[in-house]
Amino acid sequence: MPNWQELVRQHLSGLTLDTAERDEIHAELAAHLEESYEVFCAEGFPQREAVERTLAQAADWQDLQRKILIAMRRKQPMQKRVHQLWIPGLLTMMLSTIFVIALQKLGFQPRLVGSGPSGTLFYASWLASLPFIGALGTYLSARGGGLLGTALLASVFPALALTAVFLLLFPIDFVVERVIRMPVDFGTVAAALLRDGIEWILVPGAALLAGGFLMHRGLLSLLLFVSREAHACQHTPVQRDAKTDMRHDMPSCAQDCKTN
Amino acid sequence: MIRTGIKRGTAELAVLSVLEGGPMHGYEMARRIELQTKGALRFTLAALYPMLYRMEQQRWIRGTWETTSKGRRKRCYRLTPAGRKKLSPLRREWAELFRALQRLTKVVDA
Repeated sequence: MPNWQELVRQHLSGLTLDTAERDEIHAELAAHLEESYEVFCAEGFPQREAVERTLAQAADWQDLQRKILIAMRRKQPMQKRVHQLWIPGLLTMMLSTIFVIALQKLGFQPRLVGSGPSGTLFYASWLASLPFIGALGTYLSARGGGLLGTALLASVFPALALTAVFLLLFPIDFVVERVIRMPVDFGTVAAALLRDGIEWILVPGAALLAGGFLMHRGLLSLLLFVSREAHACQHTPVQRDAKTDMRHDMPSCAQDCKTN
Repeated sequence: MIRTGIKRGTAELAVLSVLEGGPMHGYEMARRIELQTKGALRFTLAALYPMLYRMEQQRWIRGTWETTSKGRRKRCYRLTPAGRKKLSPLRREWAELFRALQRLTKVVDA
Protein backbone atom coordinates (compact mmCIF):
# COMPACT_ATOMS: atom_id res chain seq x y z
CA MET A 1 0.00 0.00 0.00
CA PRO A 2 1.42 3.41 -0.90
CA ASN A 3 2.20 5.94 1.79
CA TRP A 4 -0.71 8.22 0.97
CA GLN A 5 0.46 11.02 3.22
CA GLU A 6 3.86 11.12 1.52
CA LEU A 7 2.33 10.82 -1.92
CA VAL A 8 0.01 13.77 -1.35
CA ARG A 9 2.84 15.80 0.19
CA GLN A 10 5.03 15.18 -2.85
CA HIS A 11 2.35 16.04 -5.40
CA LEU A 12 1.10 19.12 -3.54
CA SER A 13 4.44 20.47 -2.41
CA GLY A 14 3.71 23.76 -4.16
CA LEU A 15 0.82 24.72 -1.88
CA THR A 16 2.09 28.09 -0.76
CA LEU A 17 -0.04 28.31 2.35
CA ASP A 18 1.02 28.56 5.96
CA THR A 19 2.43 25.33 7.37
CA ALA A 20 -0.54 24.39 9.54
CA GLU A 21 -3.04 24.95 6.73
CA ARG A 22 -0.92 22.97 4.25
CA ASP A 23 -0.44 20.06 6.66
CA GLU A 24 -4.18 19.89 7.29
CA ILE A 25 -4.94 19.77 3.57
CA HIS A 26 -2.30 17.06 3.02
CA ALA A 27 -3.74 15.03 5.88
CA GLU A 28 -7.31 15.40 4.68
CA LEU A 29 -6.58 14.38 1.09
CA ALA A 30 -4.38 11.49 2.23
CA ALA A 31 -7.21 10.24 4.46
CA HIS A 32 -9.58 10.43 1.48
CA LEU A 33 -7.25 8.40 -0.76
CA GLU A 34 -6.53 5.86 1.96
CA GLU A 35 -10.20 5.25 2.63
CA SER A 36 -10.95 5.04 -1.06
CA TYR A 37 -8.18 2.46 -1.50
CA GLU A 38 -9.51 0.38 1.38
CA VAL A 39 -13.02 0.41 -0.04
CA PHE A 40 -11.71 -0.76 -3.44
CA CYS A 41 -9.78 -3.55 -1.71
CA ALA A 42 -12.88 -4.53 0.29
CA GLU A 43 -14.87 -4.63 -2.96
CA GLY A 44 -12.46 -7.30 -4.18
CA PHE A 45 -10.16 -5.37 -6.50
CA PRO A 46 -6.57 -6.60 -6.58
CA GLN A 47 -4.15 -4.30 -4.79
CA ARG A 48 -2.67 -2.87 -7.98
CA GLU A 49 -6.02 -2.04 -9.48
CA ALA A 50 -7.24 -0.58 -6.20
CA VAL A 51 -4.23 1.76 -6.24
CA GLU A 52 -4.87 2.72 -9.87
CA ARG A 53 -8.56 3.40 -9.24
CA THR A 54 -7.72 5.45 -6.17
CA LEU A 55 -5.13 7.51 -8.01
CA ALA A 56 -7.57 8.12 -10.85
CA GLN A 57 -9.49 10.39 -8.47
CA ALA A 58 -6.53 12.73 -8.45
CA ALA A 59 -5.46 12.44 -12.06
CA ASP A 60 -4.35 16.05 -12.37
CA TRP A 61 -2.42 17.09 -9.28
CA GLN A 62 -1.44 20.45 -10.78
CA ASP A 63 -5.08 21.31 -11.34
CA LEU A 64 -5.96 20.21 -7.82
CA GLN A 65 -3.16 22.31 -6.35
CA ARG A 66 -4.14 25.36 -8.38
CA LYS A 67 -7.81 25.08 -7.41
CA ILE A 68 -6.99 24.65 -3.72
CA LEU A 69 -4.76 27.72 -3.82
CA ILE A 70 -7.47 29.78 -5.49
CA ALA A 71 -10.05 28.61 -2.96
CA MET A 72 -7.82 29.24 0.05
CA ARG A 73 -6.62 32.65 -1.09
CA ARG A 74 -10.15 33.95 -1.12
CA LYS A 75 -10.20 33.41 2.61
CA GLN A 76 -11.35 36.68 4.12
CA PRO A 77 -8.50 38.71 2.61
CA MET A 78 -9.11 41.72 4.83
CA GLN A 79 -9.07 39.70 8.03
CA LYS A 80 -5.89 37.92 6.92
CA ARG A 81 -4.19 41.21 6.12
CA VAL A 82 -5.11 42.57 9.53
CA HIS A 83 -3.54 39.57 11.31
CA GLN A 84 -0.53 39.25 9.04
CA LEU A 85 0.41 42.87 8.49
CA TRP A 86 -1.53 45.59 10.28
CA ILE A 87 -1.54 44.27 13.85
CA PRO A 88 2.14 43.14 13.88
CA GLY A 89 3.20 46.25 11.95
CA LEU A 90 1.38 48.69 14.20
CA LEU A 91 2.72 46.88 17.25
CA THR A 92 6.34 47.18 16.06
CA MET A 93 5.73 50.86 15.33
CA MET A 94 4.19 51.43 18.76
CA LEU A 95 6.99 49.62 20.59
CA SER A 96 9.80 51.35 18.72
CA THR A 97 8.18 54.78 19.21
CA ILE A 98 7.48 54.24 22.91
CA PHE A 99 11.05 53.04 23.43
CA VAL A 100 12.69 56.03 21.75
CA ILE A 101 10.40 58.47 23.64
CA ALA A 102 11.23 56.69 26.92
CA LEU A 103 14.96 57.01 26.19
CA GLN A 104 14.57 60.73 25.55
CA LYS A 105 12.52 61.20 28.74
CA LEU A 106 15.06 59.26 30.77
CA GLY A 107 17.76 61.65 29.56
CA PHE A 108 19.69 59.36 27.23
CA GLN A 109 21.74 61.39 24.82
CA PRO A 110 22.05 60.45 21.17
CA ARG A 111 25.52 59.76 19.81
CA LEU A 112 26.80 62.02 17.01
CA VAL A 113 28.33 60.12 14.12
CA GLY A 114 30.28 62.23 11.65
CA SER A 115 30.99 65.92 12.02
CA GLY A 116 29.61 69.22 10.82
CA PRO A 117 26.21 69.59 9.16
CA SER A 118 26.40 66.05 7.72
CA GLY A 119 26.77 64.50 11.18
CA THR A 120 23.91 62.23 12.21
CA LEU A 121 22.55 61.43 15.66
CA PHE A 122 21.85 57.86 16.78
CA TYR A 123 20.34 56.45 19.95
CA ALA A 124 22.56 53.40 20.34
CA SER A 125 20.28 51.62 22.84
CA TRP A 126 17.25 52.23 20.64
CA LEU A 127 19.04 50.88 17.58
CA ALA A 128 20.12 47.84 19.60
CA SER A 129 16.50 47.16 20.54
CA LEU A 130 15.16 47.37 16.98
CA PRO A 131 16.24 43.91 15.77
CA PHE A 132 14.22 42.41 18.64
CA ILE A 133 11.20 44.55 17.80
CA GLY A 134 11.54 43.60 14.11
CA ALA A 135 11.79 39.95 15.12
CA LEU A 136 8.60 40.26 17.17
CA GLY A 137 6.79 41.76 14.17
CA THR A 138 7.91 38.90 11.96
CA TYR A 139 6.94 36.29 14.54
CA LEU A 140 3.43 37.72 14.99
CA SER A 141 2.93 38.02 11.24
CA ALA A 142 4.10 34.45 10.60
CA ARG A 143 1.85 33.20 13.40
CA GLY A 144 -1.04 34.86 11.60
CA GLY A 145 -0.07 32.94 8.45
CA GLY A 146 2.06 35.64 6.80
CA LEU A 147 4.60 34.50 4.23
CA LEU A 148 8.19 35.80 4.17
CA GLY A 149 7.38 39.03 2.29
CA THR A 150 4.46 40.02 4.53
CA ALA A 151 6.36 39.08 7.68
CA LEU A 152 9.32 41.25 6.67
CA LEU A 153 6.98 44.12 5.78
CA ALA A 154 5.49 43.85 9.27
CA SER A 155 8.97 43.99 10.80
CA VAL A 156 10.02 47.15 8.92
CA PHE A 157 6.60 48.76 9.27
CA PRO A 158 7.82 51.67 11.48
CA ALA A 159 10.42 52.67 8.87
CA LEU A 160 7.86 52.43 6.06
CA ALA A 161 5.34 54.54 7.97
CA LEU A 162 7.98 57.16 8.61
CA THR A 163 8.97 57.15 4.92
CA ALA A 164 5.35 57.83 4.03
CA VAL A 165 5.27 60.73 6.50
CA PHE A 166 8.51 62.15 5.02
CA LEU A 167 7.17 61.88 1.51
CA LEU A 168 3.99 63.65 2.53
CA LEU A 169 5.76 66.35 4.49
CA PHE A 170 8.02 67.37 1.63
CA PRO A 171 5.28 68.60 -0.76
CA ILE A 172 3.26 70.05 2.14
CA ASP A 173 6.33 71.97 3.30
CA PHE A 174 6.96 73.15 -0.24
CA VAL A 175 3.38 74.44 -0.65
CA VAL A 176 3.41 76.16 2.76
CA GLU A 177 6.67 77.93 1.95
CA ARG A 178 5.25 79.09 -1.39
CA VAL A 179 2.14 80.43 0.33
CA ILE A 180 4.05 82.39 2.98
CA ARG A 181 6.51 83.48 0.28
CA MET A 182 9.62 82.42 2.10
CA PRO A 183 12.72 81.80 0.04
CA VAL A 184 13.47 78.08 0.13
CA ASP A 185 17.02 76.78 0.02
CA PHE A 186 16.51 73.38 -1.60
CA GLY A 187 20.08 72.36 -0.87
CA THR A 188 19.47 72.74 2.87
CA VAL A 189 16.12 70.98 2.68
CA ALA A 190 17.60 68.06 0.73
CA ALA A 191 20.53 67.76 3.16
CA ALA A 192 18.14 67.79 6.14
CA LEU A 193 15.91 65.19 4.51
CA LEU A 194 18.86 62.96 3.74
CA ARG A 195 20.23 63.27 7.28
CA ASP A 196 16.85 62.59 8.89
CA GLY A 197 16.22 59.78 6.44
CA ILE A 198 19.45 58.06 7.49
CA GLU A 199 18.81 58.70 11.21
CA TRP A 200 15.18 57.67 11.37
CA ILE A 201 14.54 55.47 8.35
CA LEU A 202 17.51 53.78 6.72
CA VAL A 203 19.55 52.66 9.73
CA PRO A 204 16.54 51.79 11.96
CA GLY A 205 14.88 50.08 8.98
CA ALA A 206 17.99 47.95 8.41
CA ALA A 207 18.06 47.01 12.12
CA LEU A 208 14.37 46.04 12.08
CA LEU A 209 14.81 44.07 8.87
CA ALA A 210 17.85 42.23 10.21
CA GLY A 211 15.90 41.15 13.29
CA GLY A 212 12.90 40.16 11.20
CA PHE A 213 14.97 38.18 8.75
CA LEU A 214 16.90 36.32 11.44
CA MET A 215 13.66 35.47 13.21
CA HIS A 216 12.16 34.12 10.01
CA ARG A 217 15.21 32.05 9.18
CA GLY A 218 16.01 30.52 12.52
CA LEU A 219 13.89 30.97 15.57
CA LEU A 220 10.55 30.83 13.82
CA SER A 221 11.01 27.31 12.48
CA LEU A 222 12.04 26.23 15.96
CA LEU A 223 8.98 27.83 17.57
CA LEU A 224 6.60 26.37 15.00
CA PHE A 225 8.18 22.95 15.50
CA VAL A 226 7.72 23.19 19.28
CA SER A 227 4.11 24.33 18.95
CA ARG A 228 3.36 21.48 16.49
CA GLU A 229 4.87 18.95 18.89
CA ALA A 230 2.77 20.33 21.73
CA HIS A 231 -0.33 20.13 19.52
CA ALA A 232 0.43 16.52 18.55
CA CYS A 233 0.82 15.59 22.25
CA GLN A 234 -2.64 16.95 22.98
CA HIS A 235 -4.15 14.50 20.49
CA THR A 236 -2.22 11.40 21.57
CA PRO A 237 -4.46 10.31 24.49
CA VAL A 238 -7.57 10.53 22.31
CA GLN A 239 -5.99 8.35 19.64
CA ARG A 240 -4.75 5.82 22.17
CA ASP A 241 -8.23 5.53 23.70
CA ALA A 242 -9.72 5.09 20.28
CA LYS A 243 -7.32 2.31 19.36
CA THR A 244 -8.60 0.12 22.22
CA ASP A 245 -11.90 0.03 20.39
CA MET A 246 -10.50 -1.53 17.22
CA ARG A 247 -12.45 -4.77 17.53
CA HIS A 248 -15.56 -2.96 16.35
CA ASP A 249 -16.27 -2.27 12.71
CA MET A 250 -15.19 1.17 11.78
CA PRO A 251 -18.29 3.34 11.95
CA SER A 252 -18.82 6.01 9.37
CA CYS A 253 -17.50 9.46 10.10
CA ALA A 254 -21.06 10.70 10.34
CA GLN A 255 -21.63 8.27 13.20
CA ASP A 256 -18.43 9.39 14.87
CA CYS A 257 -19.42 12.99 14.56
CA LYS A 258 -22.87 12.32 15.95
CA THR A 259 -21.57 10.35 18.93
CA ASN A 260 -19.10 13.12 19.68
CA MET B 1 -21.43 22.47 -22.72
CA ILE B 2 -22.50 23.16 -19.16
CA ARG B 3 -21.06 26.40 -17.84
CA THR B 4 -18.71 26.24 -14.85
CA GLY B 5 -21.13 28.32 -12.82
CA ILE B 6 -23.95 25.83 -13.41
CA LYS B 7 -21.71 22.85 -12.64
CA ARG B 8 -20.55 24.54 -9.47
CA GLY B 9 -24.14 25.29 -8.52
CA THR B 10 -25.19 21.64 -8.86
CA ALA B 11 -22.16 20.47 -6.92
CA GLU B 12 -22.87 22.91 -4.11
CA LEU B 13 -26.49 21.82 -4.01
CA ALA B 14 -25.39 18.18 -3.88
CA VAL B 15 -22.98 18.79 -1.00
CA LEU B 16 -25.45 20.88 1.02
CA SER B 17 -28.16 18.26 0.43
CA VAL B 18 -26.10 15.32 1.66
CA LEU B 19 -24.84 17.29 4.65
CA GLU B 20 -28.44 18.00 5.58
CA GLY B 21 -28.60 14.34 6.52
CA GLY B 22 -25.78 14.73 9.03
CA PRO B 23 -22.08 15.50 9.30
CA MET B 24 -19.66 13.53 7.15
CA HIS B 25 -16.14 13.67 5.76
CA GLY B 26 -15.08 14.29 2.19
CA TYR B 27 -14.78 10.69 1.00
CA GLU B 28 -18.10 9.68 2.49
CA MET B 29 -19.74 12.72 0.93
CA ALA B 30 -18.37 11.91 -2.53
CA ARG B 31 -19.40 8.27 -2.24
CA ARG B 32 -22.88 9.07 -1.03
CA ILE B 33 -23.46 11.57 -3.85
CA GLU B 34 -22.23 9.04 -6.41
CA LEU B 35 -24.47 6.28 -5.04
CA GLN B 36 -27.56 8.45 -4.67
CA THR B 37 -27.21 9.88 -8.17
CA LYS B 38 -26.41 6.39 -9.55
CA GLY B 39 -23.05 7.56 -10.77
CA ALA B 40 -24.33 10.65 -12.60
CA LEU B 41 -22.41 12.95 -10.24
CA ARG B 42 -18.85 11.93 -9.51
CA PHE B 43 -16.33 14.01 -7.67
CA THR B 44 -12.61 13.96 -8.21
CA LEU B 45 -10.41 15.44 -5.49
CA ALA B 46 -9.99 18.56 -7.64
CA ALA B 47 -13.75 19.01 -7.85
CA LEU B 48 -14.62 18.24 -4.25
CA TYR B 49 -12.05 19.74 -1.90
CA PRO B 50 -11.56 23.22 -3.39
CA MET B 51 -15.36 23.52 -3.34
CA LEU B 52 -15.54 22.38 0.29
CA TYR B 53 -12.88 24.94 1.28
CA ARG B 54 -14.75 27.66 -0.60
CA MET B 55 -18.06 26.73 1.00
CA GLU B 56 -16.37 26.72 4.39
CA GLN B 57 -15.16 30.27 3.81
CA GLN B 58 -18.66 31.28 2.85
CA ARG B 59 -19.65 29.74 6.21
CA TRP B 60 -22.19 27.40 4.67
CA ILE B 61 -20.36 24.41 6.13
CA ARG B 62 -17.88 23.95 8.97
CA GLY B 63 -15.07 21.38 9.06
CA THR B 64 -13.65 19.98 12.29
CA TRP B 65 -11.10 17.24 12.88
CA GLU B 66 -12.49 14.13 14.53
CA THR B 67 -10.82 10.90 15.58
CA THR B 68 -12.59 7.71 14.47
CA SER B 69 -12.81 4.60 16.61
CA LYS B 70 -9.85 3.24 14.59
CA GLY B 71 -7.79 6.19 15.76
CA ARG B 72 -7.80 7.91 12.39
CA ARG B 73 -8.14 11.63 12.12
CA LYS B 74 -10.69 12.82 9.59
CA ARG B 75 -12.17 16.17 8.83
CA CYS B 76 -15.93 16.13 9.25
CA TYR B 77 -18.11 18.76 7.65
CA ARG B 78 -21.36 20.00 9.09
CA LEU B 79 -24.05 22.23 7.67
CA THR B 80 -24.11 25.62 9.42
CA PRO B 81 -27.31 27.63 9.96
CA ALA B 82 -26.20 29.83 7.04
CA GLY B 83 -25.80 26.74 4.86
CA ARG B 84 -29.21 25.45 5.89
CA LYS B 85 -30.68 28.83 5.01
CA LYS B 86 -28.95 28.74 1.61
CA LEU B 87 -30.26 25.27 0.81
CA SER B 88 -33.97 26.02 0.36
CA PRO B 89 -33.66 28.90 -2.16
CA LEU B 90 -30.99 26.89 -3.99
CA ARG B 91 -33.36 23.93 -4.23
CA ARG B 92 -36.16 26.18 -5.48
CA GLU B 93 -33.91 27.75 -8.13
CA TRP B 94 -32.76 24.38 -9.42
CA ALA B 95 -36.26 22.92 -9.44
CA GLU B 96 -37.39 25.94 -11.42
CA LEU B 97 -34.50 25.56 -13.86
CA PHE B 98 -35.23 21.85 -14.41
CA ARG B 99 -38.93 22.54 -14.95
CA ALA B 100 -38.06 25.27 -17.45
CA LEU B 101 -35.67 22.95 -19.31
CA GLN B 102 -38.27 20.22 -19.33
CA ARG B 103 -40.87 22.59 -20.81
CA LEU B 104 -38.36 23.76 -23.38
CA THR B 105 -37.33 20.27 -24.50
CA LYS B 106 -40.99 19.21 -24.81
CA VAL B 107 -41.65 22.18 -27.09
CA VAL B 108 -38.59 21.33 -29.17
CA ASP B 109 -39.59 17.64 -29.36
CA ALA B 110 -43.11 18.54 -30.49
